[in-house]
Amino acid sequence: MNDPGKNEQIANQAKELFDDSVEQLDAATLSRLNRGRHQALAELQGSADTVKWGRWVPAAGVAAAAVVTVVVMRGPQVDELEPVTASDFEMLLEEDSFEMFEDLEFYVLLDAVASEANGDVG
Amino acid sequence: MNAYAGVFAVSCTREQSRGAKTLQRERQLNQFLAEVERRALRIAEIAVRDRDEALDLVQDAMIKLARNYAGRPGDEWAPLFYRILQNGVRDWHRRQKVRNRVMVWFGRGRSGEDDYDVVANTPDPAGRSPDDELQTHEAMQRLEVSIRELPGRQREAFMLRTFEGLDVAGTAVAMGCSEGSVKTHYSRAVHVLRDKLGDHW
Repeated sequence: MNDPGKNEQIANQAKELFDDSVEQLDAATLSRLNRGRHQALAELQGSADTVKWGRWVPAAGVAAAAVVTVVVMRGPQVDELEPVTASDFEMLLEEDSFEMFEDLEFYVLLDAVASEANGDVG
Repeated sequence: MNAYAGVFAVSCTREQSRGAKTLQRERQLNQFLAEVERRALRIAEIAVRDRDEALDLVQDAMIKLARNYAGRPGDEWAPLFYRILQNGVRDWHRRQKVRNRVMVWFGRGRSGEDDYDVVANTPDPAGRSPDDELQTHEAMQRLEVSIRELPGRQREAFMLRTFEGLDVAGTAVAMGCSEGSVKTHYSRAVHVLRDKLGDHW
C-alpha cells in the first residue's frame, strides 16, 4: 500500500497523460483562451487608468470638503441643512456613484416611469 | 517659466517610468497566463466536466488575477491564480447542486453522469496510430473518472501537485489550507488512484 515507488509511478503516468491531453487542445479552444487572456490584460490596463485617476481623488476630496465647510459656515440661516458626515464623502467618491452619474439618463427615465405610474404626469 | 518647464519635465519622466512599469508588468502577466492557461483549462475541465464552463472559469480567474493581484511578485501568481480558479470551481459545484435540486423538484433532473463523452470531447492528436490514440484516450478517460470520484480536497491536491507541479507550500496557498493538510489529501488521493487504476496501469 505504501510503496513510494508505485505511488510515484502512478503520479508520473497521470502527469504524462494529462500533458498529452493539454497538447491536444484544438485551435478553437486555444483561440478562446487567447481572447480570455487579452481580456484579462485589458483589465490590467484599466486598473492602471484607475490608479492614475485615483491620484486625483484625495485632492478632489479636500476640495469638496473645503467647499462644504464654506457652505456650512456661511449658511447657518438654512435651518434644514443636514450635517455632512464622512460617509457622505465616501459615498460621493465611490466608483459606483460616478457610474450612476454616467447613467443619469437611465435614472431620469426610471423617475419618469415611476411618476407616470403614480399619475404625476402633467 | 523655467521652473514650470522643469516640473513638467519631471512629471513627464515619472509618467513614462510608470507607463514602462505597467507595460513590463503586462508583459510578465501575459507570459505567466500563456504558460498556465492550457493546463488550468484541463484541470478545470476535469473538475466540472464541461469545456465551455471550464473556459469561463479560467477566464474569470485570469481577469480576477489581473484586477486584484497583478502588483504582487510574479512568483506568487501561480498559487493565487489557482486559488481563484479552485474557488470558482467550488462555487460552480455549489450552483450545480442547487440547480440539480431544483430540476429534480420539477421532475427534470439529469439522469446521471454519463452523457459526457471524454473521447468525443478530446480533439484528434497528430501523428499516432488509431490504436495508440484510442489507448491513450481510454487511459485518460479512466484517469479522469477516477479523479472525479475523489473527494473534492483530494482532487484539488492531486491535480495541483501532479498536473500543475505546484510545491506543497504553493498548493497550500491555492487550497487555502495548511501544508500538512495538503500532504494528507495528496497521499490519500494517490492511494485511492493506485487502488483504482493499479490493475490497468
